[in-house]
Amino acid sequence: MMSCLILERPGKWRGIGIFAGLLLALAPSLALLFSLGHPTASSPAPVFTTVFINALSRSLAVALAVAIFSVAIGLPTGVMAGLYQFVLRRTLLALLALPLLVPSFITAIGLSMVRVALGLRPNGLFSGFTGTVLAFVTFGTPLVSFITLASVRGISRSQVDAARLAGGERHLAWCVARSVLPLAALTGVLAGVLTLSDPGPGQIFGHTGAASEILVSFASQYDFALAARQCLALAGVVFFAGLPVAAFLAPRLATGLLARDVTPAPLARVRWAEMCGPMLLSALLLGTVILPLAGFVQPLFRSVPAERALQEVGRTVGNTAFYGIVASLLATMLGVTLAICSGRDAKLRATLLVGLILLFALPPSLGALGWIQLAGASPAQLDPVFRGPLTVSLALALRFFPFATIFALRGLGTASPSWSSVAAIHGVSLWTFGRKVLAPWLRPAILTSALLILLLATADVSSVLLLHPPGKSSLPLAIFTVMANAPESLVGALCVAYVGGAALLLGAGLLASRSFRRKP
Amino acid sequence: MNALIQVQDLGQSSDGHVVFQSVSFTVLAGQHLALLGSSGCGKSTLLRLIAGLDAPVRGRIWLAGQLVSDNGRILIPPHQRGLAMVFQDLALWPTLSALENVLLGMAQSHWSRRQQKERATEALTRCKVGELAARKPGTLSIGQQQRVALARAIAGRPQLLLLDEPFSSLDPLLREELMTEVRRLAGEINATLVLVTHDVLEALALAQRAIVLEDARLAESGELVSVLAAPRSRLLRQCAAQIGRLRSG
Repeated sequence: MMSCLILERPGKWRGIGIFAGLLLALAPSLALLFSLGHPTASSPAPVFTTVFINALSRSLAVALAVAIFSVAIGLPTGVMAGLYQFVLRRTLLALLALPLLVPSFITAIGLSMVRVALGLRPNGLFSGFTGTVLAFVTFGTPLVSFITLASVRGISRSQVDAARLAGGERHLAWCVARSVLPLAALTGVLAGVLTLSDPGPGQIFGHTGAASEILVSFASQYDFALAARQCLALAGVVFFAGLPVAAFLAPRLATGLLARDVTPAPLARVRWAEMCGPMLLSALLLGTVILPLAGFVQPLFRSVPAERALQEVGRTVGNTAFYGIVASLLATMLGVTLAICSGRDAKLRATLLVGLILLFALPPSLGALGWIQLAGASPAQLDPVFRGPLTVSLALALRFFPFATIFALRGLGTASPSWSSVAAIHGVSLWTFGRKVLAPWLRPAILTSALLILLLATADVSSVLLLHPPGKSSLPLAIFTVMANAPESLVGALCVAYVGGAALLLGAGLLASRSFRRKP
Repeated sequence: MNALIQVQDLGQSSDGHVVFQSVSFTVLAGQHLALLGSSGCGKSTLLRLIAGLDAPVRGRIWLAGQLVSDNGRILIPPHQRGLAMVFQDLALWPTLSALENVLLGMAQSHWSRRQQKERATEALTRCKVGELAARKPGTLSIGQQQRVALARAIAGRPQLLLLDEPFSSLDPLLREELMTEVRRLAGEINATLVLVTHDVLEALALAQRAIVLEDARLAESGELVSVLAAPRSRLLRQCAAQIGRLRSG
C-alpha cells in the first residue's frame, strides 16, 4: 500500500515529473527546432528581411503600449474593487471577465464595425496602431484588474486596518497600490508579451505584426520552413522579453499560492468609492464589452441573416465543443499532475511557474507548426494523434494547461499537510485518500480551471487555423475566415452568437462555483 | 510494567539545522508523558518521529518492545504502530462528515463494515458528539471539532495516543473540560498519552511524567511533580517561579 505521506515528502520523482511535463509541453516546438537544424536542398529564404523587422518593431510598439495602458487602467480598478463595496460590484466584475474569454480579433471586428457605423476616418481612432492597441487593451486591462484584485484580497485584514488607522482611505489606497504594483506591472508586461503572438487585431486594423507575417508565410506563401524560422525568431524575442518577467513573477506567485488563506479585510463602504466604483467599472465595460458588442449588433438592425448564421454555427459547434472539451480535460489532468509533483517545495513551485509563464507566452503558432512537423515525420497509423481533431485538442491542451496547474497549485496550497499525516497514521491508502479527501477538496479549483480552459480553447484561432483537419473548422475560425468577404451582418451575427455562448458558459460557471463554494 | 516507548540517542535535523540530538527516554505503559519545551524546540518533531511520520536522522525507537525506527529508516509504518494522533490543527478531513472522518480513520481495522460503523458511532457518542455524526467539520464549533478528532483517534483503540498541542486554541473553560474528557477516554480504552505542550498546567492535568527539550537537547526528565520541585531547565524554573509568586501573592 502506498502511503499518503508521499504527497508531503520530498523526492526525486517530483523534479522528474515536472521536467517530463514541461518537456511534453515543449515537445512540438523542440521537434520544429530540430527539423530546422537539418540542411535543405534549396537555400532558405532569409528571416530578418526589412518586412519582417518592420513587422516585429510594430509588434513591439503595440506590446509596450498595451502593457502601459493595461496597468494604468487596471491597477486603480483592481484596487478599487478589492477594497470597496459598491452597487453592482459583483455583476460588473463578472461582465468584465467576458473580454478575457473572447478572441481579440472578435473585439477588433466589433471596434472596426463601430468605426464604419460612426463614419470615422479609416486612419483614425479605431484603425492602425491605435485600433490594434485598443483591441488588445480590452483584454489586458481586465487581466491586470483581476490579478490586482486577487492580490488586494490577499492582503490581510490587520494590514488594511493598520494602513487605514495610520492615514485614512487615501493613505490606504496608496499603500495597497504600492504593494500590488509590481505584480500588476508584471501582469501588464505579460499582456504585452502575449500580443506579440496574436495576429488578429493587427490584420483587421491594417497594422500587421510579426505574428501576421508568420501566417502569411505559411498560409499564403506555403513556405513552412520560413514560417517556422520566423516563428522561432518571434519566440526568441518573446522568450528574452518574458524571461525576466517570469523569473521575477514566479517566486512571488509561488509564495502566494503556497500561503494558506488569509482573512481579507471586509469590503468597506465609503461615499466616494460608492460613486466612483460603478462609474469606473461601467466606463471600462463600455470600452471593453459594450462598444465591440454595439459594433456586432449594429449591422443586425439592417438585416439578420439568421438562417445562414445558424447554418454556420450548426456546422462548427460540434468541432468547437470537441476541441474545447477534450483540451480542457487533458489540460486539467496534466495541470493537476504537475501541481502534485511540485508539492509544497517553494523552489520547485517557482521553477515550475517560470516554465509555465514562458510556455504560455510563446507564440501558439510555434507549437502548432511543431505539430505539423511531427505529423509529417510520423507513420500513417498515428494519423488520429497527429492529423485529426485530437491533434487540435492536444495542441490547445498543451497551450492552456498552465492555468490548470496554477489553479491546482492554489487548491493544494490550501490543504493542510496534516491531512495526509493523519491518513498515514490510520492506514488510509493513497487511492482512498485521493478519492475521498483530495479530489473533493480540489473540485472547485478543477472545475473552475476546466471551464476557463474550455472557454480559452474555444476562443483560440492560431492553433486551430494551422491544425484543423479539412471541414473541421471551429466557430471562431469560421468567423476569422469569413470576416473579410462575408456580409457585415453575417459576421456580426456570428460574433454575437459567439459572445452570447461565452457569456452563457461564464454565467453557468459562476453559478456552479457558488454551489460548490466550500464551507469554512 | 513494560516499556511502551523506548527512545535511544535520537537525533533529528532539518535543512542542515540540528533540531535536537542525543535524546533518550523510556515511557512505561499507562504512564502518561508530557513533552515540554518552548516554541520551536522540536517537541512536535519528536512526536512525528514516534508516530513514524518522519525518519530520525540517528537513533532508535522501540514501541512495545519492537524496533520501529532505526538510524534514518522507518521499519514499521505509522499505521502498524498501534497508535493514533490528534494534531494541533486537528487535521479533520473537511470533505467528509464527522462519522465518515471516524470511519475512514478505521481503514486498516479488520472489523466488518457494520462493526466499523458501530464502533465509529460509539466513539462519537463517547466523545459526546454522537448527534453531530452527519455534520461536516466546517459546520462544527472548535470544541465539537476537537471531540470529533478525539473520536477518530480513539475509535481504533490505540495503545498510544499522541496529542500535539490540541488544546492550544481553546479558551480555559473548554480546555479544562476537554482535558477531563481525554483523561477519562484514555482510561476507558487503556491508552497511554503523550502530550506535546508548552503549558505546564496542561501537563500537570494530564501527565505523570515529563521530559523537557531545551537548546536542542533533553534538558530534564522524570516525574512531573519532582522535576517541578527542583527544576533544571529554564522553562520549568520560570514556571516554578510563577507558581511560587501566585501562591505568595
